[in-house]
Amino acid sequence: MTKYAQSFLVGLQSNLVYRWNFGVRSMFWFFHLVVVFILWGAAFASSPNIGGFSFAQTLTYFVVIFVLQFFIGAFNEDYQISEDIRNGLINQFLLKPINYFAYRLSVFAAARVVSGAFGFLALLVALPFFRGYLELPHEAWRFVLAVPAMALTAIIQFSIAYIFGLLAFWFLDIQGFVILSMAIENLLGGQMLPLDLLPKAAFNVIRFLPFFYQAYFPASILTGRQGYDFAVQGLVIQAFWAFALVCLAEFVWRRGLRHHTAAGG
Amino acid sequence: MSTLALYLRIWLACARYSLVRAMMFRGDLFIWSVVELMWISVNVSVILVIYSHTRTVAGWTQYEMLLLVGTSMLIQRFLMGFFWSGIFEMGRNVRSGLFDFTLAQPGDPLFMASTRKVELDGLLNSVAAAAIVVYSAWKLGLHPSVLAVAVYLCMVACGVIIHYSALVMAMSLAFWITSSQGVEGSYFTLMEFSRLPREAFNRVASLLFVWILPVVVVSNGPARELLHGFELWWALALVAAAAGWFTLAVAMFRGGLKRYTSASS
Repeated sequence: MTKYAQSFLVGLQSNLVYRWNFGVRSMFWFFHLVVVFILWGAAFASSPNIGGFSFAQTLTYFVVIFVLQFFIGAFNEDYQISEDIRNGLINQFLLKPINYFAYRLSVFAAARVVSGAFGFLALLVALPFFRGYLELPHEAWRFVLAVPAMALTAIIQFSIAYIFGLLAFWFLDIQGFVILSMAIENLLGGQMLPLDLLPKAAFNVIRFLPFFYQAYFPASILTGRQGYDFAVQGLVIQAFWAFALVCLAEFVWRRGLRHHTAAGG
Repeated sequence: MSTLALYLRIWLACARYSLVRAMMFRGDLFIWSVVELMWISVNVSVILVIYSHTRTVAGWTQYEMLLLVGTSMLIQRFLMGFFWSGIFEMGRNVRSGLFDFTLAQPGDPLFMASTRKVELDGLLNSVAAAAIVVYSAWKLGLHPSVLAVAVYLCMVACGVIIHYSALVMAMSLAFWITSSQGVEGSYFTLMEFSRLPREAFNRVASLLFVWILPVVVVSNGPARELLHGFELWWALALVAAAAGWFTLAVAMFRGGLKRYTSASS
């Protein structure tokens, strides 16, 4: 366990080296929120109620989504893993008693502490502008259920990024796959719009996919877009996906190692 | 040989090389074409879902909005096709020191860095973006003259110059902040504003996103030209913004270049 704690600390230091990158990202996160504010503000000017929710409730949803991305979203872990494989850096992990998944997870956690801190700062700056438009529900159960939902979301996000990174065992360039998955995740994960605004049939299919649990699910619990029964059912499905994706990650790792050729010393 | 002819020959050589390369990696070309098409679909889906709940957004109907979004995507696809890869790699090469190779080439460093690769997938998907514009114009019953289409295309070209300049400025940050990894996201965030109608911006947002940053003018100008005919103000604003932003981008790149310390940077 100590070695992963050390990995976490090293990850924390190496991420702090790139603090300006996180700072710039946080600043543009604020701009992204402004786009949401303008687009949805204009839509709500024509229809004061969209999908049964007010403008304030919808804006709150997007703010929560963005905060979650900074605290538990995968940014470029897939790229880092693929670079480890392409450059042969992965060889050092094969020779040591260290689990690569656990190592990467600890580095991911460290990166999220740093990006989360910057996200929190961006939120503090944005708060005076948006405070009048934020509307969170007060039921205590939402915050209780949101904690495991967010933890499972982090595992799902990381596992998907990890699996995509491992594709570098088979492909020279995985960026195409990564950005393709990003497009799908943005839409089906609820980052572009609240998924409950989709036609009911589409929503009922998407809720059984892992993407649904990458952002929309914890945000919908926290912002009151879904009720208690839905949240409990969702947690069960989310736990299944988290488990399935971790197993898939291990399977892809083992298969990938069979393809791997370690050259040099 | 005139300087212009020399640069044209260099660009044609790069384009020919890119085409041959794309034909060698046909699977890669297919994946990236799907990626681009997927992002276009995601943006169109968001518009369709919003308009399934409201009739107008800032006075723009669904097909007017699709025409605007299609124009914005057309500009972005041209940027992706002609300049993206070169500028994106520039950011990474500055950190690794590989930018030395660009400096050693027989031409202006910015030209050599940004026109090194032509991406066929971006250009192929500009057809999809153009199809959205044509389809929207057809649904709106528009019958633009040849001259109106020519003016529209000139305005789109100005938009590409503005996008190019914004991207060069974002990636030039690499000269100051060690790594530009993730900073390219800032360009995408800023360009999200180009998918919003001018009328959606209130007085304060107008000041920043219409007057100071040309992100709204870039797509609204050409789209309005098709929808409402030629408006001198929009044309002048676009040309002025393109000239101003290109000058700024070149100045920032050259300022950054002075800080470049080769492989040890």
